[in-house]
Amino acid sequence: MSTDKLLNGLRIIDLSMGWAGPLAARNLADMGAQVIKVESCTHFDWWRSWEATPEWVADNGAEKALPYLSVNRNKLDITLDLESPTGRQLLLDLVAKADAVIENYSGSVLPKLKLDYPHLKAVNNELVMVSMPAFGSTGPWANYRAYGSTVEHSSGLPHLTGSSHQPPTMQHVALGDAIGGLNGTAALLSALWHKQKTGRGQFVDLSQVECLIPLGAEGVLHQSVHGSPPPRRGNDHPDFSPHGVYPCEGEDQWILIQISSEEQWLALQGVCAHLGRFGNNEERVTHRAELDKTLAQWTSNQHSTVLMQQLQSAGITAATLHNGLSLLEDEHLHARGYMQWLDRAFVGKQPHPSLPFRNGKKASPLNNPAPTLGQHNKQVLGGILGLDDTELEQLQLDGIIGNKPTLPI
Amino acid sequence: MQPENSADRSTENAFQSGPFAGLNIVDVSGTVATSYACKLFADYGATVTNVEPPRGFPTRSLKPFLPTQLSATHQQQRPISAMHGYLHCNKASVVGDHNNLAAEPAVGAADLVVFDPKTLPHTDSLADIKVNTCAISWFGLTGPYAQYQGSDGAIYALSGFMKGIGEEAGPPIIPSGVQAQIVGGLSAFNGALGHLLGQLMGNLEQPFALDNSILEANMCLTDLLAINAFNKNPLPPRMGINRFPPTYPLGIWPCKDGWLGVTALTPSQWKAFCELLSLDDFTDVSFFNASVNRLASADVIEPAIIQALATYSAEELFHKGQALRIPLARVPTMEELFAVDQYVSRQAFSSISMHDTTFLAPSIPFRLFATPPHFGGRVAALGEDNSTQANV
Repeated sequence: MSTDKLLNGLRIIDLSMGWAGPLAARNLADMGAQVIKVESCTHFDWWRSWEATPEWVADNGAEKALPYLSVNRNKLDITLDLESPTGRQLLLDLVAKADAVIENYSGSVLPKLKLDYPHLKAVNNELVMVSMPAFGSTGPWANYRAYGSTVEHSSGLPHLTGSSHQPPTMQHVALGDAIGGLNGTAALLSALWHKQKTGRGQFVDLSQVECLIPLGAEGVLHQSVHGSPPPRRGNDHPDFSPHGVYPCEGEDQWILIQISSEEQWLALQGVCAHLGRFGNNEERVTHRAELDKTLAQWTSNQHSTVLMQQLQSAGITAATLHNGLSLLEDEHLHARGYMQWLDRAFVGKQPHPSLPFRNGKKASPLNNPAPTLGQHNKQVLGGILGLDDTELEQLQLDGIIGNKPTLPI
Repeated sequence: MQPENSADRSTENAFQSGPFAGLNIVDVSGTVATSYACKLFADYGATVTNVEPPRGFPTRSLKPFLPTQLSATHQQQRPISAMHGYLHCNKASVVGDHNNLAAEPAVGAADLVVFDPKTLPHTDSLADIKVNTCAISWFGLTGPYAQYQGSDGAIYALSGFMKGIGEEAGPPIIPSGVQAQIVGGLSAFNGALGHLLGQLMGNLEQPFALDNSILEANMCLTDLLAINAFNKNPLPPRMGINRFPPTYPLGIWPCKDGWLGVTALTPSQWKAFCELLSLDDFTDVSFFNASVNRLASADVIEPAIIQALATYSAEELFHKGQALRIPLARVPTMEELFAVDQYVSRQAFSSISMHDTTFLAPSIPFRLFATPPHFGGRVAALGEDNSTQANV
């Protein structure tokens, strides 16, 4: 059986929004779990837009948000107004028939709705619930808010990146989100494994900030062992040279070159004849600025991808710096079938990244694009909970379910 | 071979509890990525055995090292790696024959064998014993880059991650440490556990042979670059330190007592932020309700933000901002990190015991309440469990 059917038989309720939680659940959907995403017409996933306007609604903007499409494929989508007693009860009915729930609200939201773990466990004693607020579910900051950027700010990582003359340096607009998402997948799978073995569910608490701390393990360990942080060296390696990012032909084109042995250094001299005077590694580290300048003069007339291929053929660690467009054209990703294409209403055919693991040579197939808002109301509320068409129509009339975003008046 | 340190292990088998109790995982390569994938299993109670070459795993050579006087005390011929300790606590270590892995008792008893094909090319025999395998390599087992020399930096470069970091004029900044491998190991853990769970559920009958690409694992951070480019809406080129579209204000700025991280994305967050800092010139300008408009006007807005922040306490602003639902953050240094009350209360760092010393390392970030993880633990010396394996 292929990877896309591995987890057939599992049902997961996805209450999460944005990037981290939806990515965590998507990975299980890609492996065949039935993931039911729950939004509402008034509180739709904020990754559809955080600046919604009437014009945006009229233009079906909710269905065109590219980030949303990427992390919600292979899911079902329903709308439920969780602030209404009926909507809340329907969610509880669904949870009663589920294996797991995942959510990434800030800490105070679900308790206010009486939909936190004790309330959900009351209807499903075997439930797994993964909660992934930014700072975790316990501690004095449990109710604090964060984006992926806030998570990076709080992790210590900015003090490890860049040079000492620069401010603490971020790496990404939302580093905490994607890494939190991968950890969320790990948390769900771990608890589901335990449930499959024992029949017992449990609450799982994930702190997105703590997910980033292992990425800075080198700094944490240095501080703990030596009582001081590692120096911020920019692109320099403390022990080897050359080691850096060098300009190439064209605007904003760069290549990474990292020499970590004398064998690689000799190979580099075989490709670039101007480097012989720089001597052994100790001399190169001492004169690294001059060496970097000489190397940059040489690389600046070369095409970065061609140069990468040439250097890699000689056994040298080198890599071109991709941007969005060149990622789409990368021959390696293309050969591995990394991008798959799914047709979706409102946006047409879109590229989708494959799962980063595969059983065999082919990427696991991706089957369904992201759902539209409330697309599966009838399938889920009718098919799983047994509501008939009349009841569904009444829910629609009462504004508990729907297919269009509603903005506050 | 005799173990290099046969100190008494008072916690013998104490770590074999938790959701993965009874699972036997074997690491035969000891790269950062394979080690981290196996560490997640070990933290939750799997029996993880490192089958190391006589020289030991590559992680034993990674900085930072324990202080040199400690190494001398133990008559080590080389420094002792704290990074190895972090990655390998609560695991067993045996020295094995990497030319004949199928004959290794730990491999024969394994539910999963994890390896890096580059450090261990002789894995063909694993197919003969029909064991689940999990290969973790820089670029995957197939494709034009499969034999390329990899590094964390090369992954940041080829994934598109690095090009957005740094000064506008460049060069882009290489992120620190071994982040790409940690992400690769985490992603491989997900792949391996997903397939093991599929087997447990009866959905997968045959042994699996997973191919994990560290590059593809790290592309979860950059896939949107490609998707935006395909839709002819590419993100702008690098915009400078701590400046990333479409969010503004976004950055790390100095206050009287340290650094404050600022993110204000929605109109209400921006308005509250302006009110908090008394940025009256911007508060009610509707043009600035859109984050992209603020980003385009950063040269006007930013001097006012910097000037205002310099007069406040970061600690005070952080809590006041959070009370107003603005996602502000303290930006702790490495030293401050250990003392942050939130992290202390959650035991975000735990103690690793290695060669009669202890140090702090990150704890596992997700906590199963009913079956809690191990916080810290002890690190086996090279070959410490040789005699145990002989009895498998």
